[in-house]
Amino acid sequence: MSAHYILRKLVQAILTIVAIVALNFVLFRMMPGSPERATKNPHLTPEFIAAERAKWGLDKPLFPDQLVAFAISTAQGDLGYSIKYRGQPVVEVVADAAGPTVLLIGIGEAIAIVVGLWLGARSGWRRGGVMDRIGNSLSLIFYSMPYFVIGMPLIIIFAAGLGWFPTSGMTTPGGDKGPAEALFDLGRHLVLPVTAVALGLIGAYSILMRSSIVETRSEDYITTARAKGLPDALVLRSHAFPNALLPMVTLIAINLGYVVAGAITAEIVFNWPGLGLLTVQALDARDYPLLQAIFLLIAVSVVFANFAADIVYGYLDPRVRA
Amino acid sequence: MSQPTRTRLVRLAGAIALGASLLLPTAAPAGAADPVVLTVGTTQDLDASNPFNTALVSGYEVFQLTYNLLVEFDKDAHPAPGFADSWERSPDKVTFHIRDGMTFSDGSAATSKDVCFSWGLAMDAIKHDANIGYGYLDPGVKDAGVTKIECPDPSTFVAYTTDQSDRIFQVYVPILPQHVWSKFDYKSIADQKFDPPLVGSGPYTLQEWKTGQYARFVRNPSYWGNKGFADEVVIRFFPDQTDVMVQALKSGEVDYAHDVNPDQFKALGADPTYTAVAGKANGWSQLAFNTYGTGTGKTIKDGGPSTKALLDPAFRDALGYAVDRQALVDRVLGGYGDVGTTMVPPVLSDWHVEPDRPRHFDIELAKQKLDAAGYKLDANGKRLDKEGKPITLRLDHPNTNDSYAKSAQFVKEWYGQLGIDVVVQSLDSDTLSNLILPPPDGKADYDIELWGWSGNPDPNGLTIVFRCDQIDNLSDSQYCNPDYDKLYDQNTQEAGAQRHDTLAKMQNLIYDEAPYDILYYDSNLDVYRNDRFAGWQNMPANGTPFFTYGPLDYTLLTDATAAPSATPPPSADAGASASPVAGSPAAPTTASGASAAPTTAPSGGESTTGSSSNTPLLLGVVVLAVIVIVAGFVWTRRRRAGGVDDDE
Repeated sequence: MSAHYILRKLVQAILTIVAIVALNFVLFRMMPGSPERATKNPHLTPEFIAAERAKWGLDKPLFPDQLVAFAISTAQGDLGYSIKYRGQPVVEVVADAAGPTVLLIGIGEAIAIVVGLWLGARSGWRRGGVMDRIGNSLSLIFYSMPYFVIGMPLIIIFAAGLGWFPTSGMTTPGGDKGPAEALFDLGRHLVLPVTAVALGLIGAYSILMRSSIVETRSEDYITTARAKGLPDALVLRSHAFPNALLPMVTLIAINLGYVVAGAITAEIVFNWPGLGLLTVQALDARDYPLLQAIFLLIAVSVVFANFAADIVYGYLDPRVRA
Repeated sequence: MSQPTRTRLVRLAGAIALGASLLLPTAAPAGAADPVVLTVGTTQDLDASNPFNTALVSGYEVFQLTYNLLVEFDKDAHPAPGFADSWERSPDKVTFHIRDGMTFSDGSAATSKDVCFSWGLAMDAIKHDANIGYGYLDPGVKDAGVTKIECPDPSTFVAYTTDQSDRIFQVYVPILPQHVWSKFDYKSIADQKFDPPLVGSGPYTLQEWKTGQYARFVRNPSYWGNKGFADEVVIRFFPDQTDVMVQALKSGEVDYAHDVNPDQFKALGADPTYTAVAGKANGWSQLAFNTYGTGTGKTIKDGGPSTKALLDPAFRDALGYAVDRQALVDRVLGGYGDVGTTMVPPVLSDWHVEPDRPRHFDIELAKQKLDAAGYKLDANGKRLDKEGKPITLRLDHPNTNDSYAKSAQFVKEWYGQLGIDVVVQSLDSDTLSNLILPPPDGKADYDIELWGWSGNPDPNGLTIVFRCDQIDNLSDSQYCNPDYDKLYDQNTQEAGAQRHDTLAKMQNLIYDEAPYDILYYDSNLDVYRNDRFAGWQNMPANGTPFFTYGPLDYTLLTDATAAPSATPPPSADAGASASPVAGSPAAPTTASGASAAPTTAPSGGESTTGSSSNTPLLLGVVVLAVIVIVAGFVWTRRRRAGGVDDDE
């Protein structure tokens, strides 16, 4: 893979991020309730208003001064202060929520990728077999169900009914737990949400993988491999699977980009303290600085994931490197 | 066959099974010395642990557990010893005696200097004509007529007042420990985050707060009052997730659920595991008519009410006969609420009066009254105002609660029968607040606002809304009547029967003039489990145990599994709202021994969920069955299709 290819993709990614920052600037200045409104209060003296405007940099023109100031502070990681979280720096609030989301969606994605690819490959390889019929129809059903439809029955059966797992949250409050106990507690809280997320995602992977395998199976090189007398499993593993994987890379990359965004409905149902829940809270409270930061983070992570996909794609498929 | 794949699958399954077995509760370590934790669920997220910066009920609960007020509330929401254990009134002042030997949770002495510091913040804010933070707490000091405060010695606090009102005993200013907060003044204290752990003199102090998840409180070992059974209190937040909160109540993770919906309330109330309490809220939902210009004749360019009819009390009075408030209570609130009349809610039973000239639902009478007042129908059946223009009223409500939207549709229908068109609009709270503001801040460009208020133990918190000087502040009816203001001022100087008479006049005046049509007094629907904690008290008697005035009930809870008792269990009847603790003893403060406990001896732990959770379990099984059936259906369809191109 040429350095030129990587460089080109990197420049594209950086340009996209610059555009996102600019869009972020424009978008949130178009929303209602700007700080300018506060200065329209007739009880305030003109001197006070002028001083306040200077303090917040509002006396300078929107472009380029305010945009540049905004870009610089964004680059320095200063994204302002949350309204909902009473003046806590937005970066801190977002950072606190990012961990739980990466944990939940990350594990869910990992399980879904492994199970989904395996299920899809098996289904496609033996199209019309028992595995295909059951696996594919279940995939379709779960794929079409929003997380809260999957999540509520899980809570009702396994938390409220059987009492095996907690209904929601990430930790049991209280007590001085040792590290082992804390990890165990976290594990118990993870089971149901991870199950819901994984069930919801498996479908997407297995359906795409299935059709990809079906397509690959009719290729000449597969016929050749089989004609050579290679065992069926080896043909699937060494010839069909790697080639069928190509379209999956895009899907996985895009989905991994959304690991950061979180699965909003899953996090709400299980009251999981991640970015999805935070987004909803920020929307409810019209916490623009917080929304802005989440928006930026999601956009950047999607761009980054796509960049990674481009690189991996280039590695897997020599044709795109040119 | 694909042997390697299968082996991998087996290995994977093994790993999953191993992981799952590790996580099952059978493996959970069960320490005997674990603290007793009381878990309270609410759908409202906590906004701030700084008392001056919270606008939410959950925030009040947090600071009331952590800090004492100078004077607390007893179970009837009447003044009771708090930071001060006694007081004397003289003509121009009240002398408070601070509890001897009291300490804060960190062990340092709690004295009058802490009161002078905390009330001093409010006094400074008043002096500078400012507020602390959101400005909900400090105006209480002003409203009590306090002119000067003094701390002559560590056990004495003196407040000089201009009047003899009782409001000085209901001041919601938490007594903060001066040694922690002395660096801050009335301005900078609002910028403090009050990160836990907090030091306070309340029964349970805030130890940990995970935003959006829970707030955890530990027992204050030096608390002067009753010791509740719980060693720790956890308030868990379920934002927008009433369903999950109810599931957590069923699984026993949560002992108390605040604000469930009417259906859940009925279902849980029918189960003896739980007690369901419909507590009367200190507030109402209303139609506020835009009466801008009454008395002054002022108008607003491109704004204000769309017809002068709204300024006419006779018009508003007639509209009042067209609203079936009982239907709203039954069909919008599921029966959990009370028909609205006057502006002091019945929950403030010391001050509430029913109107002398009540209006009842009678569409025909409403039509006659409109005709008599000069609002005639035109040929098309439309009601005309005195300028000869058909009346079309714009009704705006916030999108926060679906009962507003439902009520609006009923009102539209009823007014329609009078020949008055209603255009309903749902807005977010901020937009609606801005819409209502008159000049200079806004244009008051609305006709009717459907929204609600909730108040303080003192009726002034609600009656202030109708004062002339609240226009461009709290007023959402733009109502102004100097006679009313005079009565209000008079009521702040009075106490007892005298004040009652004045408040009765005020309530009747507003009812007759009808700038508001109060639709209903809301209810708080709370449910708690009977198997772990006993000794629940509704505070006041027609309220709920928690999320009310003061933290008293947290300190009264006892171990439900300990002592069987002769007292009958609290009524689990959903209709218990009227007098759920009518027969309870008058002095519950000695809560150490046997108090109300369920006679059906509950077995502790997991097994109690058995009978109650059959329904959801069944539901889950049904869902699973549906999935399997649909899967089977898809499978057979596929099979039939597969017959054609079975193998490529």
